[in-house]
Amino acid sequence: MAELADIENEFIRDEIEEFLERPDEIARTIETFANTAPEMQTIAAALIDGDNDAVDELTKEALGSGTEALEIMDDGLISGMGVVGIKFRENFIFVPEVLACARAMKAGMAYIEPILSASGVDPIGTVIMGTVKGDLHDIGKNLCIMMLRGAGFVVHDLGVDTSDDEFIEAVEEHDAKVLGMSALLTTTMPNMGKTIEAFIDEDLREDVKIMVGGAPVTQEFADDMGADGYGKDALACVELAKKFAEEEDEEEF
Amino acid sequence: MQKINKEEYQKRLDRITQLFEDIVLHADEQSTYRCPYKNRFDQCTAKFGCRNQRKPPAKGDLLLCGGDDRIDYRSAWETESVEGALVEDIEYGMGTIEHDGKARKLSAGKTIFDYADELAVQVPTSCFRTGQCHECIVEVKSGMEALRPRNEVESFLRGEHRLACQAVVQDPDVDIVFSPLRRTPKILTLTDEKPIELDPLVTRRGDSVYYDGEYIDKYRGHLYGLAIDLGTTTIVIDLVDLETGKSVCVSSLENPQRFGGSDVMHRISYDAEFGGELRKAVINALNHEILEMGERLDFVRQEIYEIVLVGNSTMRDIFFKLDVQSIGQKPYKSTIEHEYLEGKRETTSLLEKTRRLGIRANPKAVVYGLPLIASHVGADVAADLVAIDIASKDEIVMLVDVGTNTEVVVGHAGRLVAASCPAGPAFEGGGIEYGMPGYDGAIESIHLNNGQTEYQTIGDIDPQGICGSGLIDLLAELRHHELMTPMGVFTEKKQRKIAVIPEHGITLSRDDASNLAQAKAANYCGQFIVMREFGVNPAEVKNLYLAGGFANYVDARNAINIGFLAPVAGERIFKIGNAAVQGAREVLLSREKRESIEELVKKIEHVELETTPDFFEVFVEGCQFKPMPTEFV
Repeated sequence: MAELADIENEFIRDEIEEFLERPDEIARTIETFANTAPEMQTIAAALIDGDNDAVDELTKEALGSGTEALEIMDDGLISGMGVVGIKFRENFIFVPEVLACARAMKAGMAYIEPILSASGVDPIGTVIMGTVKGDLHDIGKNLCIMMLRGAGFVVHDLGVDTSDDEFIEAVEEHDAKVLGMSALLTTTMPNMGKTIEAFIDEDLREDVKIMVGGAPVTQEFADDMGADGYGKDALACVELAKKFAEEEDEEEF
Repeated sequence: MQKINKEEYQKRLDRITQLFEDIVLHADEQSTYRCPYKNRFDQCTAKFGCRNQRKPPAKGDLLLCGGDDRIDYRSAWETESVEGALVEDIEYGMGTIEHDGKARKLSAGKTIFDYADELAVQVPTSCFRTGQCHECIVEVKSGMEALRPRNEVESFLRGEHRLACQAVVQDPDVDIVFSPLRRTPKILTLTDEKPIELDPLVTRRGDSVYYDGEYIDKYRGHLYGLAIDLGTTTIVIDLVDLETGKSVCVSSLENPQRFGGSDVMHRISYDAEFGGELRKAVINALNHEILEMGERLDFVRQEIYEIVLVGNSTMRDIFFKLDVQSIGQKPYKSTIEHEYLEGKRETTSLLEKTRRLGIRANPKAVVYGLPLIASHVGADVAADLVAIDIASKDEIVMLVDVGTNTEVVVGHAGRLVAASCPAGPAFEGGGIEYGMPGYDGAIESIHLNNGQTEYQTIGDIDPQGICGSGLIDLLAELRHHELMTPMGVFTEKKQRKIAVIPEHGITLSRDDASNLAQAKAANYCGQFIVMREFGVNPAEVKNLYLAGGFANYVDARNAINIGFLAPVAGERIFKIGNAAVQGAREVLLSREKRESIEELVKKIEHVELETTPDFFEVFVEGCQFKPMPTEFV
């Protein structure tokens, strides 16, 4: 059986010591890291630390020196994210830290994308995401984006306080088939309806599936303003996006 | 360019999705009790304004969250920009807030913590002033009415105690005086470090560290252990190098549990009402001290591999997460002692992982709590007995460990009798108007000479009060010059107060004298009854060991003259200061000492003072400021 000392990376050893408590998880995590290359451990450490610049740089280097993309995913990114998940579950870190780690993971995954297209593996779809005009809340939307990217979608994040024009331009530019809008305030929620109207005015409504979400939004409200779907949380958001992407594929044939 | 297999890639995506699903589900649940925009430093990461946002300690840092985690955050969120929300016009009232002679003008809406910052008073905190960590407790000596009433997160506090971060000024026209509960620790110099044969449980071979022969860590440069004496009033921590046996640093700090009362009985009832608070306070203080020591002495907490903890039964068991209620009622025995007496356990000593107790040391480190003797006579006395090496004594000796609870042990290796006397905190400054613990500015000795008062203060600065040794001197001198009767009445008629140091306003009142008389009586009773039980007169006591915080500074002759101490000839009295931490250190360094004290405590007889038939008569006699009889057996 592998021991903590078998892991070369000190940061990871410290993380395991400091934050892991369940014996089975400790054993499993030690086993995972003990068998990985030091460069992969460095990537995992940077990811756990939420350092996206370092993950970016290290992933590029690793691919450049011939490391397999799958090895980077397994030993660098996913194994690191495993530790992040445990730390979060045990309340050692919180949502902002998790999102920083997810952003670091995305920085690594960005280098895998060209390899995917070179291998003929298409992304399952492209999604545009943003919080509506007048609203600055983004946690829920960011969690949705994290899940969508994890499921293999290409996501373009328009951030907060997004105008109708910004939504429209992004959909056209990226030829996205799915648009997700979020609102957290009852005062900004109606802006979702206005954006949908703007798509109708531009004669683009048929080109894109629109899903909406956010604390005050309900299925009824979504139906009223003419959205294609409503997701009550990030899991539902991914399910919706997958459903829309499949429908799109069927239409193409 | 390399290629990737689609199926293999999909497998990875599925694993990521699984990971993220767990995260999102936890985020949902967590958001119901903690704002998702708040990071692990309790800083606000939101891009919008929120009424819980607070000004950060340093410019340019993220705003802090002042929310209390009990509300639905969404109602606090506004979308206006952050600017403007924090600018405030300050209007000052008539009142001031004062700490240690320095004062600031009051304005409504600010917290005591804000003023502590302005006055450069160190107040501990680890929750960024959100009311969660309960470390910033302050004592509001006057002006409580200037503050908003205690809020929900302060509901565990009583009397004059408040959380600095929650106590908001509402009436700026009333003067406030406050002081933090945890003062800067004092670094002590260990006087008597007797050589000891090294045989610790923690050992090193090459690059590996072992605990009792089992590998626990790679060597990081130091092999450290902590010996801790957890007193009701004072905590003493000795950082010990387990390879050389030497003390690296000894420091003492006030026990931050003072908000739960000054003696063990109050702490026990407090613990019943607000379970966990006392424990939390002491664990936080210890963790803080470990961190500070590490920074000062350049080591990491992971280099601490074992902790030996001693303390009276209540302090020890609160630390070990045990229920202490049974110590508070007859027959005053801890749950551990009950279990031991019922044969459910072999010993009253305790062994627990530091991790489970929340102490931040090496993750594999353990805490060993020395065994209890009986009832209130706890692990601290067991440690004293280690320090005086009682196991090798064939002649009769007496140990008096003076403190909030004074403990007395009389005997030799073959037979020992012990008792605990609840003296209360008077000699540590509690309940005495100008009394104080042995900090800088405390008068430690007093001599009256032809109407002149000669005195010595700790740190050689202006006197602020009188500590235990000074109080004993004062009482003895007042008696000697016949300014006070044995009953504690001042001889000048109808005088309620004596000016001790008039130029500094330090006085002693009748009430002070009466409180000291009762505290002294408890010490008297303990020694008198235990000696009588053993069947020995003071003259036959070979050595008297005087232990406890201020023991080293006590003038033994004065202490004997007022009956604080049994009349044993001066050359046979040994002041051994903080013997408990010394004993704890020896146990940390020697397995043999550990085994021997485990066996020894099982043989000690315990006397319950209050059930002694003539207890009350002895106590009344003990209340008088006069020497103890020399023969009573």
